[in-house]
Amino acid sequence: MLKGEQLVIIGCGGVGAPAAMLARQLMPEVEIVVVREEREFIVR
Amino acid sequence: MVAGLVTGESITNPDEKFASAGIQLVQARADRIDVQARMVYLADGRQITYDKLLLGSGANPLIPPLAGRDLRGVFALRTLTDAEEIRDHLATANPRRLVFIGAGFISLELAMLLASRQPDGREYTVIELLSHPLPLMLDPEFGKRVHDHLQAQGLTMRMGETVTRIVGRDGKVAGVELASGEQLPADVVFLNVGARANTQLAEASGLRTSRFGIKVNSFLETSDPDVLAAGDCVEKQHFITRKPVPGQLRGPAVIQGRLAAKRLAGYAIEFPGVLNNCVVRLFDRYVASTGLTEEQARQEALETVSATVDSRSKHGMIPGVKPWSIKLVFDRTTGKLLGGQIISEDIAPVKEIDAVNALILGGKTLYDLTVLMCAGTPDCSPEPSLEPISIAAEQALQKLRE
Repeated sequence: MLKGEQLVIIGCGGVGAPAAMLARQLMPEVEIVVVREEREFIVR
Repeated sequence: MVAGLVTGESITNPDEKFASAGIQLVQARADRIDVQARMVYLADGRQITYDKLLLGSGANPLIPPLAGRDLRGVFALRTLTDAEEIRDHLATANPRRLVFIGAGFISLELAMLLASRQPDGREYTVIELLSHPLPLMLDPEFGKRVHDHLQAQGLTMRMGETVTRIVGRDGKVAGVELASGEQLPADVVFLNVGARANTQLAEASGLRTSRFGIKVNSFLETSDPDVLAAGDCVEKQHFITRKPVPGQLRGPAVIQGRLAAKRLAGYAIEFPGVLNNCVVRLFDRYVASTGLTEEQARQEALETVSATVDSRSKHGMIPGVKPWSIKLVFDRTTGKLLGGQIISEDIAPVKEIDAVNALILGGKTLYDLTVLMCAGTPDCSPEPSLEPISIAAEQALQKLRE
């Protein structure tokens, strides 16, 4: 992804949280939005 | 959490962690995706544009079409909300007779935790359609060991039984009826027989799906080049059979989530497929498996040779030795390692399943495993004559000559 592009992640389980955090590390200049229905991220 | 051991907060990631990393959080249900316009429509009316989209929509509990499944006191466990509802119901209704439909690891973990924590006088009954507990993880002889252990801990194990309906009274669960006509009284029923990929959003968006989930390639890309999908909601490929399979385990979900991030950052690392490796604690036994059981291998028309080694958690001269057993399954024709199962009374040996997993992924054969050299010291290794993986391989080697 390129600088200024937007990544949208839908989900907050085993995929959403680790994907968002690693994406932030690997692509610091990309906008990241996580959409989740649940009130919290789930670890397990 | 259901058993009161931890709080909801302790098993969730705090929002601040993401906000401080510059990640925007939106709490809303995603109702629709327009892949042409690259737009996500939220239930609250908001719209979010994307350049790339990652779907991690998870899975829903598989609820069989049993009459009575909507009665008060019937639960499936999947989400934090489910766990809170179960915890609250147990606290207020104080059920005495608890019935668990399904003997997979979620059902058994739940039964074990409640039986461990709750006061005496409660009855715990596990009903399973197949012949033994953990049928997707274990062959019958290992399943029998688990069965006997759970019985010894006070659970009533009803294997090979079909539940035909859930019986109610005044809107509340009162029991379950088996195919034999026998009725078992129940004050609460837990229905955990599996999960199904949540593909609604993907399907409505025109993405390719199958009965196992969203179709993705080995880079987790869907049929739309700007949409990736990962975790419980996607169809997996089995590493050994290369066949499409469902998959709702934590390990692949986390690895796929991280792999998707790497793909978006430009890496070209392929997902290898799943082996369904998993581990569960049942009272003071640790049970793990990976790859194919011998039964599953035969269903795939593979001719097998297997070996079981009963080993020790440490050298016999060291105090505190505990037994553990490993079964390895090989392809008789190629010698390739197909699967492994472990039951251990100690916590450390069960993680040898990861070694077995790596050996399968590396395409190793029983011949390779006969010369596998393990790190060893008496405090954490058995005698060399009981080194389980290489000894199992040697036993399998000998069986090939019989």
